[in-house]
Order: sequence, then structure tokens, then C-alpha cells
Amino acid sequence: MSTPSQPDPRADQASVSDEKLLAAHEPILGQQPDEKGKYRLLPLALLFIFSGMIFFGGTYLGRFSGWFDARVFNEYGTPPKAGAAAVPVDPVVAGKKLYAIPGACITCHQPNGAGLPGAFPTLVKSEWVTGSDERLVRIVLHGLTGPIKVAGVDFNSAMPGFGPGGGFNWSDDKIAAVLTYIRQEWGNQSGAISTDRVAAIRTKEAARKTPWTAAELEKLP
Amino acid sequence: MPTVPTNAVPAEVTAIDTQARGPLLLLLGSGLLWLVVGGVLALIAAIQLHSPQFLADCAYLTPGRAQALRETAFVYGWLANAGLGLALWILGRLGGEPLRGLNWAVAGTLFWNLGIAAGLVGIATGDMTSFTLLQLPRYVLPLLVFAYACIALPGVLAWSGRRADMMYASQWYAVAALFLFPWLLMASQAVLLWWPVRGVVQPIAAGWHVQSMWTLWLAPLALAVLHYVLPKVSGRTLPAYEWASLSFWTLLFAGAWTGGRHLVGGPVPAWIPTMAVVAGSLLLFHYLVLVINCRGIMGAEGTGAGFLRFGFVAYVLFGGLDFLASFRSLAEGSQFTLVEPALREIGLYGAISMMFFGGIYYAVPRLTNRVWASGAMIGGHRVLVIAGIVGAVLALAIAGNSQGSALLDPKVSFAEMANQMRVSLLAHTAAQAVLLAANLLLLVNFLRSACCCGTSTEAPPALFAVESAKEGSAS
Repeated sequence: MSTPSQPDPRADQASVSDEKLLAAHEPILGQQPDEKGKYRLLPLALLFIFSGMIFFGGTYLGRFSGWFDARVFNEYGTPPKAGAAAVPVDPVVAGKKLYAIPGACITCHQPNGAGLPGAFPTLVKSEWVTGSDERLVRIVLHGLTGPIKVAGVDFNSAMPGFGPGGGFNWSDDKIAAVLTYIRQEWGNQSGAISTDRVAAIRTKEAARKTPWTAAELEKLP
Repeated sequence: MPTVPTNAVPAEVTAIDTQARGPLLLLLGSGLLWLVVGGVLALIAAIQLHSPQFLADCAYLTPGRAQALRETAFVYGWLANAGLGLALWILGRLGGEPLRGLNWAVAGTLFWNLGIAAGLVGIATGDMTSFTLLQLPRYVLPLLVFAYACIALPGVLAWSGRRADMMYASQWYAVAALFLFPWLLMASQAVLLWWPVRGVVQPIAAGWHVQSMWTLWLAPLALAVLHYVLPKVSGRTLPAYEWASLSFWTLLFAGAWTGGRHLVGGPVPAWIPTMAVVAGSLLLFHYLVLVINCRGIMGAEGTGAGFLRFGFVAYVLFGGLDFLASFRSLAEGSQFTLVEPALREIGLYGAISMMFFGGIYYAVPRLTNRVWASGAMIGGHRVLVIAGIVGAVLALAIAGNSQGSALLDPKVSFAEMANQMRVSLLAHTAAQAVLLAANLLLLVNFLRSACCCGTSTEAPPALFAVESAKEGSAS
């Protein structure tokens, strides 16, 4: 205290003791009620700011809450009406997306469905695609291996299964969608394959573990 | 502005300080040790941001692990130890009685630090979890809860056995932090690690955890320090103290609701990110009242006040930016970029750590009954740490900004993006190196001060008498 001009940076001086600090703040909180006028009102400006923030918060919540519905993921959305029928999915649209998943159909059969000459067969105007659905569903469910003649050209390669045990493990409606897509795209004009049809064949071939060969499939109708 | 009356001049260093010396210096010291360890890890993680091949062959320090190690050492090592040490000290002083049960605190500190060390080894060997601010493997977490309870015990005893009936703002904040953290840690480890909730609920719980760590634990600890040291050095009452409780309760109630701000665009119901914006707007009360109450720190003198001033500004800045970042239109460009770490650097380093530094500079001379060993090292630490924080935040923000716009443009390739950010990321590495140097200075200064305490007669007892010279000067 003898040298108050330049305080020592190595230790901060305290201006007030702990007891005094407590004692000075105690009356401000107004342990006694306000009859002595010892409290201060919230200033009008602060009150307005606070009300403004509450108003903003309330309005924002009302506008973007999505009615607090667990099914609304977009802040501008509205909850689906009770009892409204689920929107039917167009199998061609869904199938196109499935076809284009990297590592799925598109990798070998190419975006235009033409395959790679000498390696992977075409899907365009292929009798295997536009013909028997019994054969086609089995190929996608369990895969195909060995020699096969497609649109007059010989191939000998392998296709993995997309059904049980495969890396994709597609459900019946996904397989139905992708097959309907390839049967109606690139100028193919065959009928749709229904989910029930895929489910029936899946049940029938539940014991099948290995990929099919063309010879086996040709015995089927 | 009312002045706290200072008639008597009681000694400033009391039995409360001398009796708590060992345990509290142990807490603060281990915190500083972790700070330096975390600084080394931060440097490694920073280098890996621009040179991914650095230490990439070392399985223990691959980029993901280095980042997790760095964050854990910083938050659970440095911030926890230092924050607890300061909270105990403040609760003891304001309680008016020497701290009881300090043996528990010593045992707790040892177990806490053992737990952190074991957790870091666990992270390095591949047991880290995927949740921000909760990356410790789950097997150390029960030990940490137990150790935390032991450390907190003297603080709770000092609070429940306090001499005065009323509580001062620092006590609200410190006690809230002491009680809320174990609850928070138990709740989040239960729903995230032991019995993981499934699907969409998991990111919601993780977002809640991140924001709660900030608003229910770290911010209250830092504000306890600010609310205590400010009137002590300025000698004035807080100008709007009657609204301070409004500020306190807003932080506690609205704070954790901002967790949804990490989930913008995520697979969660729309109302959860919306709620984060609403909670953020309510939280502005907290920041506004805090600014009114603690603006006195801007003119306060002293070493501790200098650090607290920086921390106070950073805290308010962080509050505003955190609120802005919760809006969907801004989050689109900022989330998943380096803007997020820049924000966290403002919060955890600029705000919380700087306030803890201020508290340490104020408390340690009283605990050791001796001035800091070196004034030059204090000055060096201040210059370096401020330069480091400002540099790191700016570098990350600039990098994140260019990254954010590049990520939204499908034509920009990843390599191009990395090239754009390279200069800023190099600057970030330099800033982390500066921070490491700064904190080494603090650690050395602390060790020199702590190891010699009691042996030197350099500090006359009168140094720590409460000055009466300022009486009447502030009016």
C-alpha cells in the first residue's frame, strides 16, 4: 500500500472483503418486500426488449413448429391428415432410383441398359427381361452364373443375387419396382411385376442358396 | 453507482485460503498440466488438418483420434479441474468458513485424473465413442461421476454450511454447476452409451449433451468466477444485481433447449431445430443482463481482470454467434465446416478458459500467500494467449467460410477445396503453437509459485490486506 501508483501485476489487490461483498449485495435482492421502496422496477426499455424477444420466440415457434408433429421434417410442412391414404408410389420412378444405386444394376448393365459387349448382357429387347417373369424374378433374387445366350449373343459371367443373403437384401416391393422399371424402359414394353408375384416366388424358392444357371431357368415356364 | 462500504481492513488471506492450499493447488495444477497436454494434442490435430499424412501411420494418433484426445484433455482435463478448483475456492470464501472434507477433494482429484488418463488411453487404442464432448469410453465414466462427486463435496458442504443466510450470484452459479454436471453426465452416458436410445432420438440426445455441457456446466463455472472477482477488484456492487437471478434462471432453463441447433436439416421433427432458435432468443436475456451487470470489468484494473475482460467479451460474442448459427439459413453454410470449431474455440478457449485464467491469476497468490513468481511471464502469457486465440478463431473461421460455400457448389472438387483452405489452416497451426507456448509459460509460472509457497518472505502480509485506499474513490 506504500506504492499505490503502479499496482504489482503479480498479485491483484482486493478492494473489498468477502463479508462486505455479501453484505452489500444482500439488500439489493430485497429480502424484505418492497414497502420501503428499496427495489427497482425493470426499466421500461428492458421490459420492451424482453417482451419483444418473447414475442419473436412465440411467433417463430408458431410459424415453424410444424404443429409439433413427429412426422413433419420441413419447417414449412403441415402434418398429414388422419386417415388420408398413403400416396401410391410409381414403381417405374422408384425402380429407376434403385437401378441407379452405385454397385447395383447400373454398374454392369450401364445407364442405357445396354450392358458391356462381351462381359455383361444387355437388358434392351432381351428375351430374359421381357419374357417369363418366373425366370426374371429368380435371377434378381438369387443371382445367375455360367453361360447364357441373350439376344443371340453368348455371355459367360456372374450376377450377384439381390434377395436374401445378398449385399443389398432388397424387399419384395423393391425387386418388383426395379423389374417393372427395366421391363418398361428403353423401348421394352412388358407388363409390370407385382410385389405379390415376387413374394410368391421368394416363398417357393426359400431353400435356394446358390445362383441359378441358364439351363435350370430354361426348364421353367 | 453504489460503492461497497469498506471501513475495516481485514486481512485478505485467511485461514480459508491457507487450509485449502494443498487440495486446491492440486486441482488447479492438474488442470494446467492437462492444458499443456491438450495443447500438444491440439497442435498435432491442427497439423493433420492441412497435412493428413502427419502421424497417419501411428494408430494411436490418427486424425480422428488426435482430435478426440485433444478435446477430451481440454474439456475433462483442463476445464473440469480448473473450474472445480476455482468453484471450491469461491464457495469456501463466500461461505465464510474453512472448507470441510478436503480429503475427499484430494482423493477425488486423483481418481478424476486417473480416470481421464485411462480414458485418453482408451480413446487412443480405439474405444472412443462418436459423440462430441462425450468421447471418453464408457467404462471410465462411472468412475468420473464418482470422482466428481468427491471433489464437489467440500463445495456443497461450504454452501450448505455457509455463515450468511443469503447467497451471492457466484454461489448460485457454482452450486448449480456442481449439482448439474453429475446429473448431466449420468443422463447422457445412460441414454447414449449404456442403454443407447435408437434412431432419431440419439442425435437429439447428443445435441442436448453438447449444449448442456456449455450452458449447465462450463458457463456457470466461468460466470461464478466473473461474478466473484469483478466486485472484489472494482469494489463496487453489480449495477443491476436485482435482475441477476433472471439472468441465472434464463441460462438454466433455456440453455439446454438450444441443443436442436446441431440438427438443422437432420432427420428430426421440424420443431426441434425451431425450438433451438426460440430458446436462443430467450437466452439473449441472459446475455443482456450479464452485459449490464458485468460491464464494470471493462474498466477494472489488475492481471485477473485483464483476462476476465477478454473472456467476458468472448462470452457475449459467443452467445450472439451461437444464436445466429441456429438459424437454418445460416446453418446451411456453416454446419459441418470449420466454422463450428471456430465457434467452439471462441466459447471454450476465448470465454471459459480466459475467465478461468483470470480466476487463477487472482486466486493463486491468495492460496500460496505469495505473489506470482514472475510478472514478465504473466505479461508474456497474456500477449501470447490472446494472439493465439484470436489467430486460431480467425484462421478457422476464414477456412470454414470458404469451405462452406465450396461444399454447396457441386463443381468444386475436394482437392480444390483443400487447396483453398491451406493457408488458413497453416495459420491455425501457428496459432495453436503460440497457444501451447503461452500455456507452458503459465504452467512454469504456476509451478514456480506453488512450489516455493511458504518458504519466501518476499510478500509482506500487508500486500493482501484489503486496500482501503480505493474507498470513496469510486462513486
